[in-house]
Amino acid sequence: MADQHLLELDNISKFYGNIIALKGVSTVVNAGEVTCVLGDNGAGKSTFIKILAGVHQQSEGTIRLNGEEVMFNSPRDALSAGIATVYQDLAMVPLMSVWRNFFLGAEPTKRLGPFKWIDQSTAKQIAKEEMAKMGIDIRDTEQAVGTLSGGERQSVAIARAGYFGAKVLILDEPTSALGVKQSGVVLKRIVEARNQGLAVIFITHNPRHAYPVGNRFLILNRGQSMGSFAKEDITIDELTQLMAGGAELEALEHELAAATGNGNGD
Amino acid sequence: MKKMRWLAMLLALVMVAAACGSDGDSGDTADGGDTGSESTDSGDSGDSGDSGDSGDTEEVDVAQSGDLTFHMITHSEDGPFWSVVKRGMEAACSDLGVECVWMPGFNDANQMVQDIEGALAEGSSGIAASLPDPTALVPVLQGAVGQGVPVVTLNSGANDYQEIGALTHVGQTEFIAGQAAGERFNAAGATHVLCGQQEQNNVGLTERCAGLEDTFSGTVTTDFMDLDADTTAQQAAINAAMAADESIDGFLGVGPVITMSGVRAAGDLGRDVIVGGFDLTPELLGAIEGGDVLFTVDQQQYLQGYLPILQLFLFQTNSNTIGGGQPILTGPGFVTADNAASVLALSEAGTR
Amino acid sequence: MTDVSAVDANSATANDAGEADERLAYRSIFQRLFIRPEIGAIIGAIGVWTFFWAVSLNFGTTGGTQNWLDSASTLGIMAVAVSMLMIGGEFDLSSGANTGAMGILFILLIRETGELGGLGASIWIAVPLSFAFAMAVGFFNGWMVEKTALPSFIVTLATFFILKGAKLGLAKLIVGQISVTFTNDAHGYAFWQRIFAAEWERNSHVWNGRDLFYIGMFLVGTILITLSVCEMHFVRRSEPKPAGLGLFGLGMAGFVASIVLFHTTDGVGANFVAAAVLAVSVVVAMVGFGQWRYEPVAAAGGLRLNAGITNYLVAGLVSIGIAVACAFAIDSANSETLFFPFTVQGLRAVLIMVFVGVGFMLAMVAANRALSVNPITKGAVSTVIAAALAGFAFVVRASSEAAKFRTELFSVLLLCALALFAWAVLGTRFEERRRTDASADRLGTRGLLLGVALLVFAVIIRHLFVTDAELEAGVNPAKFSVRMLWFFGFTAVMVWILGNTRFGSWTFAVGGNKEASRQVGVPAARTKTQLFMIVSGAAWLVGMLLAFRLNSLQASAGDGEEFEFIIAAVVGGTLLTGGYGTALGGAIGAAIMAMSAVGIASARWNSDWRFVFLGVILLLAVISNRAIRDRADSARR
Repeated sequence: MADQHLLELDNISKFYGNIIALKGVSTVVNAGEVTCVLGDNGAGKSTFIKILAGVHQQSEGTIRLNGEEVMFNSPRDALSAGIATVYQDLAMVPLMSVWRNFFLGAEPTKRLGPFKWIDQSTAKQIAKEEMAKMGIDIRDTEQAVGTLSGGERQSVAIARAGYFGAKVLILDEPTSALGVKQSGVVLKRIVEARNQGLAVIFITHNPRHAYPVGNRFLILNRGQSMGSFAKEDITIDELTQLMAGGAELEALEHELAAATGNGNGD
Repeated sequence: MKKMRWLAMLLALVMVAAACGSDGDSGDTADGGDTGSESTDSGDSGDSGDSGDSGDTEEVDVAQSGDLTFHMITHSEDGPFWSVVKRGMEAACSDLGVECVWMPGFNDANQMVQDIEGALAEGSSGIAASLPDPTALVPVLQGAVGQGVPVVTLNSGANDYQEIGALTHVGQTEFIAGQAAGERFNAAGATHVLCGQQEQNNVGLTERCAGLEDTFSGTVTTDFMDLDADTTAQQAAINAAMAADESIDGFLGVGPVITMSGVRAAGDLGRDVIVGGFDLTPELLGAIEGGDVLFTVDQQQYLQGYLPILQLFLFQTNSNTIGGGQPILTGPGFVTADNAASVLALSEAGTR
Repeated sequence: MTDVSAVDANSATANDAGEADERLAYRSIFQRLFIRPEIGAIIGAIGVWTFFWAVSLNFGTTGGTQNWLDSASTLGIMAVAVSMLMIGGEFDLSSGANTGAMGILFILLIRETGELGGLGASIWIAVPLSFAFAMAVGFFNGWMVEKTALPSFIVTLATFFILKGAKLGLAKLIVGQISVTFTNDAHGYAFWQRIFAAEWERNSHVWNGRDLFYIGMFLVGTILITLSVCEMHFVRRSEPKPAGLGLFGLGMAGFVASIVLFHTTDGVGANFVAAAVLAVSVVVAMVGFGQWRYEPVAAAGGLRLNAGITNYLVAGLVSIGIAVACAFAIDSANSETLFFPFTVQGLRAVLIMVFVGVGFMLAMVAANRALSVNPITKGAVSTVIAAALAGFAFVVRASSEAAKFRTELFSVLLLCALALFAWAVLGTRFEERRRTDASADRLGTRGLLLGVALLVFAVIIRHLFVTDAELEAGVNPAKFSVRMLWFFGFTAVMVWILGNTRFGSWTFAVGGNKEASRQVGVPAARTKTQLFMIVSGAAWLVGMLLAFRLNSLQASAGDGEEFEFIIAAVVGGTLLTGGYGTALGGAIGAAIMAMSAVGIASARWNSDWRFVFLGVILLLAVISNRAIRDRADSARR
């Protein structure tokens, strides 16, 4: 199965003028796996996803999709190649209903002569089914998205990306704005998506969220890759260490210990 | 003729654009150019206006009148009424060969005060102003008289022109006009007249209805019937008011637009209502010819533009005053079916 | 109900499926109706109409109806278009001036085309040319807003000044007048006059069978609505019981018999018998229908009142009692002006309406609370309310002289009481639905819409035709203009577009969250530009309607009207910030404004106070819209 990776990133770098945003990052993404991209603020996570989503283009390195070298010149390129991105701020209209949000921009239509209208019953039914596949029973798809919880909203976005033929699903910090319980909901959706055969790229700064769901971990620090590990090769503590740049965190721990008297990093 | 007007407009536009930083006055003067030959004149004045006080001496085309520039400051330029006043002023100025500046105040007393002060600063040879708000305007006009600049009031201001020290007042007393309308309704045998107003805070319109009430022998109901800008709502309001009271058999609209709304409302209700109106428009004159409207009170506003300029001119060139200290009344005149046709032709030409 | 087995073992916990169930509690048909954005406007419109119907002589007659509808037509066309634009998150301050500008441009084109072509003035050329210009103005507005990224308030304010100035400037330049006129000898005048200004003279359309048709249509519509509401409210039986159908037939037969009896007798006794037969047969028919179709209630329970129910019920009844006291205590014949706009009659009407309204609202809260106890309690409370309503009907009859109160309002109130009572009986016998049933809802919705359409059709027929009896009594003439058809048609098309097309969906999206809709591929710039073009197109339509109505237009026509359009949209439930609202709401908002303006003139109030009244209506509308929206949000949570 793993002869050929779905998506292969080789030595990706991005420079903005003389600023190095990303340097020599490599990893692989497989269908039915969750690849976690971890890093603190400013580690280069957002540059990384913007390259994958086609918003920016890499300065060096190659991206291979199904073994073929590709270059995404626009978000539309990436989308048509099957790479869907669910951004942190979510592309949702809060006052609109679930089904309208689900199909926004790609509504199924019926037509009669010159008249074209939305096939509402089909749209509602599909939205309901797709949400059910994600494990959410939306009885009334007329419900406004704004009344859903943060986790449910993420779920709608994930279900939508899956339904519209995404092979690779990029989730940008889906848990950062959520409470513990809601984060759990989203993590469950990630697993659902993975089980449906999607390749999921999960960007987060929280190793506790990443470790339970991830199959592979790419750790970034200050634009540098700290390595790409399979789950069996790494523990959660090592992950945390690497994320913060190892030695730095240790130093911080000592500092804190000195300042408070009873240092307890982590 | 049409080609000439376009040409004049174009020329005036170019002039205005050329006079960089030109103020409102020069623009207005240029706008006044009605015929091709005049547009050249106004263009010149546009330039001279910019050069300030000394500019007046540079006029090239004024043969008889030397360097007279008169300013007319009014409180509105909208509506069929003021466009005719403006024409009267333009005609007087071209007949007399003087420069005139038309300064409409858009119902803003503060702006009128500023315009008057501006005219004085430019060294105006005479000021003609309407007085919608005497409290605000009397002091500044008194100041003008104090500076030796002759003042004539027009349209509204019959009660205050003497206090200002103005040469005279040219206008119609709204109350007297309303009284005359009341006599007409008496003669026509009406018993209950609805006096419809198209503005809510206009003293002049209220005076017209009060005059009607003074002489009319039957009942008068006075009410606001929505704005001229929304004729649909205006007609609906008159319709409802008439339907609510079967005894209404007369309607006096205190403006031409509302008068036509009243005609349509009565028509919709199928009621035989005697309609009288104020002022002139081609439609209203057509309705008088057609018998839908009995009369309209004509205050001959052309004179309100023409006569003040004439008075100022005569005062400046020959120290004459007209009227012997009394106001000069331009109305009420009446247009009825007898003279509608001839007035209609003049109205379409824009001078009645 | 959720397939949890697929969840990976090491995923985080939290069973949100159960959580979602609590959150998505079932909403009954009434709750669903109550959270529609236009419901506040509909209730407001009914209130304003009833109010002016009560306080003035002519407002409710055909002439009065024609009058306010005509006034609502041009305002409404614009309000619908402006509502859509506001849902899309933009404003158009040039819309008012635009209506006049389009009319003036049209008339100028008629005058000028003849001179250009030498063929004589032609409306066939002026109509498409002015429409093209309207599209250009709309496109310009949209394009400027998109290109400059300035607030549409600013951009369209500039357009407003340009149009306002151009109207005056062009009119004076070309015609030399500030009002432009066209004569009816232009090519195509007869045809286009019919399109934009045809009139239906009511008094020349006699149809003596009108009332029979009207009443029949009305009854069929009412029955259809009642049954549709049942369909959406009760649990459907798995096996229909045909025996119930027999009972239903029996009830309907009694119903028809009672109507025939009403129609053929004039005696008080016979009318009383007919009313009794009517009441019984309606209840029998509805119970029969229920037995045929719906699941009987599992446990009706016994009567159990608690303090929460009785307090509200008593408060409600006291309030109705005060209304009754007002009805008798205040002399209805006295039409002296009491203080500012109100006459004694007006004040009486206001007091009665306020106290009755509050009373029934409180009583309904009691009924709603009783529902959570058990069906029998709810039924008992509803019966008390129905009895109060019936009692009030007799009070109205006894305390007033005018026929419209003594017969019309009296019968309407009695019928409402009957409906409420029948509903109460049904509620104790059949199981109310707690779950969604899509097929029943679909059927019910269709029946409901058809029923409402029949009612509207019945009312239209009643107003369009006259009977010989009415002519003899000297009924006022009324001319219905094709403007109203344009208004209804335009509203219907826009409601459909907004609800059923991708463009409609995108309108809500760009108004609700422009960035988000862009990210998922909604062409935001195009959608907004099209919205501006719809507003400008509506302005063109109104310009045509005005031009053909008056055959002349003032340069100032329409200036300042834009705020009326926006107010109508807001009264109709459209959110000022965009993303929420309906097209129908705009139309109803316009109707409310037109009713208020005409109603005040009709009631012979001092119009100095008119804007106070408008201000109060606006305030009430906005507050109630806000309350309904909050309620809608919380009901969904």
